[in-house]
Amino acid sequence: MSDTNGSPSTSGFNRRNFMAAAAGSAVAAPLTARAADAPMDLAQTQDPSLPVDVTLRVNGQSKPLTIDARTTVLDALREHLGLTGSKKGCDHGQCGACTVLIEGRRVVSCLTLAVAAQDKEITTIEGLSSGGNLHPMQQAFIEQDAFQCGYCTPGQIMSAVACVNEGHAGSDEDIREYMSGNICRCAAYPNIVAAVKQAAPQIQKG
Amino acid sequence: MTIAAPQPKANMGQPVPRYDAVPKVTGQAQYAADMPLANPAYAYLVTSAIAKGRIDGFDLSDARKVRGLIDIVTHENAEKLKEPKLFGNGGYMSTTIQPLASAEIAQDGQIIAVVLADTFEAAREAAHRVKVSYTAATPTASFDSPGTTSARAKGQLSQFKEDPKVGDFADAFARADVKLVASYETPTQHHNPMELFATSCVWSGGQLTIYEPSQYVHGLKNGVAEQLGIDADKVRVINPYVGGAFGSKGSVTPRTAIIAAIARKLNRPVKLVATRDQGFTIATYRAETRHVIQIGASHDGRLVALRHEGAEISSRADPYAVGGTKITTRLYACLNVDSMVSIVRADRNTPGFMRSPPEVPYLFALESAMDELAFKLDMDPIELRRVNDTMNEPIGNKPYTSRSLMACFDEGARAFGWSKRSMRPRTVTDGDWLVGHGCAATCYPTQMAPAAARVRLQRDGRARVEIAGHEIGNGAYTVIAQAAADRLGIPYEKVTVAIGDSDLPPAPVAGGSNSTASTCSAVEMVCGQVRQRLFKALMPNEGLVDKTKETVGMGQTPVTQAAQSGQPLDREKAFDALGISIVEEYGEWKPEGAPLDSFRAMHDGKMRMVGGSEMKDRIAYAFGAEFVEVRINRWTHEIRVPRLVGAFACGRIMNPRTARSQLMGGLIWGMSSALLEATEIDERTARYVNDNLADYLLPVNADAPGVEVILLPEQDDRIDPAGVKGLGELGNVGTNAAVCNAIFNATGQRIRKLPVRLENIEA
Repeated sequence: MSDTNGSPSTSGFNRRNFMAAAAGSAVAAPLTARAADAPMDLAQTQDPSLPVDVTLRVNGQSKPLTIDARTTVLDALREHLGLTGSKKGCDHGQCGACTVLIEGRRVVSCLTLAVAAQDKEITTIEGLSSGGNLHPMQQAFIEQDAFQCGYCTPGQIMSAVACVNEGHAGSDEDIREYMSGNICRCAAYPNIVAAVKQAAPQIQKG
Repeated sequence: MTIAAPQPKANMGQPVPRYDAVPKVTGQAQYAADMPLANPAYAYLVTSAIAKGRIDGFDLSDARKVRGLIDIVTHENAEKLKEPKLFGNGGYMSTTIQPLASAEIAQDGQIIAVVLADTFEAAREAAHRVKVSYTAATPTASFDSPGTTSARAKGQLSQFKEDPKVGDFADAFARADVKLVASYETPTQHHNPMELFATSCVWSGGQLTIYEPSQYVHGLKNGVAEQLGIDADKVRVINPYVGGAFGSKGSVTPRTAIIAAIARKLNRPVKLVATRDQGFTIATYRAETRHVIQIGASHDGRLVALRHEGAEISSRADPYAVGGTKITTRLYACLNVDSMVSIVRADRNTPGFMRSPPEVPYLFALESAMDELAFKLDMDPIELRRVNDTMNEPIGNKPYTSRSLMACFDEGARAFGWSKRSMRPRTVTDGDWLVGHGCAATCYPTQMAPAAARVRLQRDGRARVEIAGHEIGNGAYTVIAQAAADRLGIPYEKVTVAIGDSDLPPAPVAGGSNSTASTCSAVEMVCGQVRQRLFKALMPNEGLVDKTKETVGMGQTPVTQAAQSGQPLDREKAFDALGISIVEEYGEWKPEGAPLDSFRAMHDGKMRMVGGSEMKDRIAYAFGAEFVEVRINRWTHEIRVPRLVGAFACGRIMNPRTARSQLMGGLIWGMSSALLEATEIDERTARYVNDNLADYLLPVNADAPGVEVILLPEQDDRIDPAGVKGLGELGNVGTNAAVCNAIFNATGQRIRKLPVRLENIEA
């Protein structure tokens, strides 16, 4: 199916028309062209490289941003919000180093566009503990020596918290299986399993 | 004490939690690409789609249309950099293939353009719009491709010193009771540390700051300065945390000076985070190797003849080789030994160090062959090692400083339940699973290099240690803090450690497992200097004796004796006597046998590593024994490893927690190397095919078996002053052979080519 401007699609609706229309819409405009020279004529195609206004809710705070529409949640956090705890290990959703929680679910933030995560609660490693107290999972990772270089660790910990909340920390086999979306090249895996086991009861209680 | 923090045995420190634990679990640890930059330009690399040939031209018109584009740098407009020299040949570089220097393409994935833009997204889009026209030549991919050239490693590479030999191999082999000839192969592997190859360069008033993950900040500083043709004092490298390295970040790769030159030209910070697939070609890798082992033995298992011939792939440009015959010829008692290593050139990027560079491929061959020989002799493979165990290496008859190989085999065997193993293959099953047990020896040279440190002690008992070591997951912060706390008699929590910064006193590359031995020896020496000053204040009269003795050059004085010994220090009293509140000392330490130019080289970022088999009057290695259980599904041939046991003796253990973790990770690395990891090369194009983390198979948590690590107490006073043998690379050496030996025990099938995948099982 062609996606060029003006070519009819079977539904009489195509992506660029939709984006242009949405940009001019008064109701909950998700994408707003910001450049001074942005064409205001709705008949014209909006340049997808123009920055857009996006508001992310990160660790309980509202964060307005003006970013390239193709910016991922990971790059928004790292390059625009100074939250560099979430790591880029592959940018392809293959390694899990970028794992964050969105609405409590673990998500690879490198495959999630920031514009698609608007108005959703994003929790990163920086937001896991509060008031100087470590989260039980962080404490367990320290006690069980569940990391070496530490690069995959924020992703492992976010994933581990979700793993417990999902009810997938009932056995070693379950933990191993449900923690297998996060690669640890230092291979701290047995210690990660021990850490999840240690923290699980405390998280479930709390 | 938990499993993660084992009870220390003799000559072991406390299993304190990692110094850098809290920053690492809270996301506060700043890796290179995490460093905040003011208005950076984002760089995105364009890499070549051919492995050999030349660039006819670029069509950049489409790329230039991208909003936010700043510049596109190709060989047509790049700054000319100084000629690179290979790390293994006295230089700094991982390769002498210099991208952007000409239109020539020498390897797949060579950097051919750098696109700069205001955002990462724009840089990426413009990079994808760069059109390149090539004239491609037919490249040589690997061993069996047409167009390889082969020559002996000796004489090509200064790092490769000898083809060890002794006695008369040919004659002894001809007359041996039992003979074994076997060929082995290991694959191309990539380190794939989780952290990508990132480089940020910031210029300020002629000063360059580089944020890049490095295992050798002083090497990187000096190497980049040399390439840019500027004074090394103008360059600073900062990387307090490295997100895994495994050898890939030890030598200087071409990207750094390229990014630095661009940042200088743009007068703006430049940030590069190379993609995962680019990491396969812009840095190094473990080259594929081939081996022929010939062993002659007597009926009672004693080796009478051993020959190890190895061949390794390198690039057309560089004669890189790991050359593991230096240990395989010395591991067992044998009077007639011969060896040869060849380098086979192909149109590839230059390979480099990857965790246990020589030992992994070469011991895979030898330790597999030992298992084959044991089977031929109807001997227990552990007993075969015992018969050939020796305290003197056979080539130069030099004594091992310590060698606990058989103690490791015995401890490991007990923990593993080796005595219950069936010697006959394919006799143990569990439902649909064929069960097999295998073992192998592991070893790694004890190496040390010059290092400097600055130590500051305050009257209130707080201390700061400065040394440009590297935290790559090895626990460098932790063991350095422990070494200082121990010598200064203060709690571990009171020590602050600054590492990963080339403005600090130089430390060697965090490679060759020399880090802990070198940095802790230097730190302990400088802590001794601090103690010396304080004891001097406490012992004013002996201080005079000191002075006389120093003047006439007599032996140890009372003050020195007190400072060097473990004598407790009344710190507050000493500071009061001195009348100041801070004592600071700087010192430079070099290992015995280090060359005369050691300290100068150290400041120039050049390695002068000593140890292993290359010492004059002795040989120093850490040893271990590794045991593997494999289970192979009778119908699907799926291979699982439910159990790995490793017993290791590595001299003084600074911290049993970090030591155990590194060895545990090493064992899993070894299993992964045996069963999963291989970089596939397209024979026609000499390009890497599986250059991503989904297709380059790495173990995930579900693949990780039960791992038991046993640390044997060992004391060795003939190595470095800290008494430390490196262990970061000990864990993953023997595992390859142990896995294959276990597969033989399970199936009766001998597999001599790694990795072993289910399609390789015939059973």
